Amino acid sequence: MKNATLNLRDLVILVADPSPYMCMLANSMLRGFGANKAMDARSSIDAIQILTEQKIDILLLDNLLPPHGGLKLTHAIRRNVNNPNRTVPILLMTSDTRESTIKYARDAGANMVVAKPMSPSSLYDRLSWIAFNPRNFVDAPTYFGPDRRFKIEGFPTGVGRRQGDKAIEVSEETGPTLAQDDIDSLFNSSRV
Amino acid sequence: MSQGSGAREFLVETDFHKKARRAGGVTRNQAVGDAQAQLETLKEEFTDWTRDGLERLQSAIQLAETCPDNVLLIEDAFRNSCELRDIGTTVGYELVTFVANRLCEVLTAIRNGADYDKELIRCHLNALQLARQDTYKNVSPDQVPDLCDGLRRAAERSISLAGRIGK
Repeated sequence: MKNATLNLRDLVILVADPSPYMCMLANSMLRGFGANKAMDARSSIDAIQILTEQKIDILLLDNLLPPHGGLKLTHAIRRNVNNPNRTVPILLMTSDTRESTIKYARDAGANMVVAKPMSPSSLYDRLSWIAFNPRNFVDAPTYFGPDRRFKIEGFPTGVGRRQGDKAIEVSEETGPTLAQDDIDSLFNSSRV
Repeated sequence: MSQGSGAREFLVETDFHKKARRAGGVTRNQAVGDAQAQLETLKEEFTDWTRDGLERLQSAIQLAETCPDNVLLIEDAFRNSCELRDIGTTVGYELVTFVANRLCEVLTAIRNGADYDKELIRCHLNALQLARQDTYKNVSPDQVPDLCDGLRRAAERSISLAGRIGK
C-alpha cells in the first residue's frame, strides 16, 4: 500500500464543520489531493439535508458540529434505513482525542478519526487508509457500521508502526488524550 | 464491542472505495506537497481570520462575564476558542493552537464548577493576540517556555480548583 496513489477526482466530498475557515482549509487540502467536487455543511441539519438529497462519496465530519455533534450525526446516518448514504465512509475530525471519544466514534460507525489540527499528511493518510482498507459492514440490533473487528493489514500510507504492537482492548478512560497513532490503533483492533 | 447475535455481515464497496483506487491518482508526496502549496495561499488570510476569530471570542467572553453561571455563554466562548485551537497549527501558528487549547481547558474547568477568573481569561486573550502575530509564525511552544509555563500553571490552577470543588 505504500506506493498506492489516491484518486479523488469526481468524488463528491462533504466537509461538515461549523467553521468556514476550517472548511476552506480542508477544501484546499482536498484540492491539493486532486479532489474537484467538495462541498460544505455548517451544521448537522445542513449535513442531513445534503445527505438526504444527494449521493455523497465521503463525509468529513467535525465532532463538534452543532447542534447535535458529529457522533450523534454519525449514529443517525448509520441507523436510518432510508438514508441513501447510510454506508458512506465517515472520517470524524476531532481535537478531543480522549480514548472514550475515539471509542464512541468507532462505536457510532465512523470509519476513522483524524486529530485536529489536521495536516495535509494526516488527512491524506486517513483517506488512503479508508480507501485501501475496505471493511465489511455489520448490521446488528445494537450496531450498524463498518466491522469493528478486523486484523491489522497495514496502516495509513507512510505511517509505520512500532514493532510488537498488539491489539488494544479499549478500557475506561485513563489518560487525557491519544496521539494520532494510538487513534489509528483503536480502529485496527482485534480479530488477529 | 460484541456485535451480538443476529448480526448480519455484508460487503460494501462504495464509490469512494472503487474510485479512490483508480489509476491516475496522486502519490502521497505529490498530494501532500500540492496541499501544502494550497494552504500557503490561505495563510495570507490567517491574520485577518484570527483577528475576526479573536473578536468573536472576546465578545463571547464579555457576554460570559456578565453571567458566568450561564453554561450556554461559556459554551459559546469555548466553541470560539476551539476554532482557533483547531486551525492554528494547520497554517503554521502552533502557538495559537497551544494558547487556545489552554483557554479551552480553563473554560472547561469553569463549566465544571471552577470560579470565573477574569484575569486568567484576559491573560489568555492577550497571549492569543501575541501568538497570532507574524513574529510567532512557525514558533513552537517549547521555544517560548516562559509564556507557556505561565499559562500552563494558570490553567492548572483553574482545573485543580474545579477538582477541589468536586463538580
